Amino acid sequence: MQLAKYVKFREEKFGGVLFETRSEKVFTLNPTATAVVREIAAGGGEREIASRLKDRFADADGTIEREVTAFIADLRQKGLLEG
Amino acid sequence: MSELATPAPDTIISASTPATTRTGDLGAPLYVAWQITNECNLACLHCIEESGPGKKFKDELADERVFDVLAQLMDAEVPYLSFSGGEPMVHPRFFDMVEFVCARKGELKIETNGHFLTAENCERLKHADVKAVQVSLDGASRETFNKMRVLGEFNRAVEGLRNLRAAGVPIEINYSPTRFNAHEIGKAVDLAFELGAYSFYTGRTMYTGNAVKTWHKMAPSEEQYETYFAMLHAKADEYRGRMRVHFHEMGLLEELRYRLHNPAALLIVLPNGLVKLINALPFVCGDLRQQSLTEIWSNFQRAWRDPRVAQFVEDLAVDPGRTRTLHQWVHL
Repeated sequence: MQLAKYVKFREEKFGGVLFETRSEKVFTLNPTATAVVREIAAGGGEREIASRLKDRFADADGTIEREVTAFIADLRQKGLLEG
Repeated sequence: MSELATPAPDTIISASTPATTRTGDLGAPLYVAWQITNECNLACLHCIEESGPGKKFKDELADERVFDVLAQLMDAEVPYLSFSGGEPMVHPRFFDMVEFVCARKGELKIETNGHFLTAENCERLKHADVKAVQVSLDGASRETFNKMRVLGEFNRAVEGLRNLRAAGVPIEINYSPTRFNAHEIGKAVDLAFELGAYSFYTGRTMYTGNAVKTWHKMAPSEEQYETYFAMLHAKADEYRGRMRVHFHEMGLLEELRYRLHNPAALLIVLPNGLVKLINALPFVCGDLRQQSLTEIWSNFQRAWRDPRVAQFVEDLAVDPGRTRTLHQWVHL
């Protein structure tokens, strides 16, 4: 799993941005989403990312895990991820 | 999903186009459009920059400064750049600049008239891995193209596009309408698809630059624009999923009024290093010969709020011809 060829990621004070340069669309990310994309850019798999963030954010009720799964599905649906 | 801000707690991702991005929240621009030279091999009737043979600015950025600015852009992680002109491919360091950006993983688009797209040059662009090459194809026939693009040759531009396709470089087409080529828009979209383009861009031709002198024989009528955009709507449907047909029906005034409140995260760099707020306004918010990218970016938001900018836009409502003064730069 990796960011699609024409997608650029940049961290910002508020979180981050994904820029799909073919359609010239910008997607703004909150800190949680930014943490996920940072992990994707570093080469993590979906399950691995969810597990790491769950630990990092002390996710007792599984909210983070669900959000990560939904977010990754959203990225795929928007064509921002490949593999 | 519409504004750049920390989303509500239950929101994972929010999206916006560059046009609706609140640029003040960003650490750097998202897009830098750099006119790397004002020199051009053509002298087009509508050229917004009044480029042409011998039109290179006397004070264009020196090579050393060019590469220093490119390094600043890459260090700031500006994700998207374009090189235009003039004709960017006549810049003596064009390929060095392209390779500098692409080697640092910058996404780069080249905006060219297509006359230097030899097979060898296209291979070099492919090898560098440019994001796209946008070619201006203002006509679906030799007759209209050559009339619009003075000193230009339709067949050479088409050959350049075929070379791009053969090399596997992503292609975009740009089309400027006039009273003598507007009727060819349907054929032009078809031709773009046949030549392998993935995007087709057009809009209203601006009354500025060379167009001020040629307006009387070039400007499309409102009736022509009506037919023009109706055809584009039909073509956008026809090519949906195969080629993006992208067009701006909005007039300049509406566009600028919108931008006053929603500046794009975009800097326009002129060949001499001056930085404009937007191409359709005369206002300059920095000078890369003397200031860093960071300094200019921090001045960008303030400059958009300068009352002279809003006043200029409102003056356009009274006198649309004020766009003729876009090259009389006003430093903010």
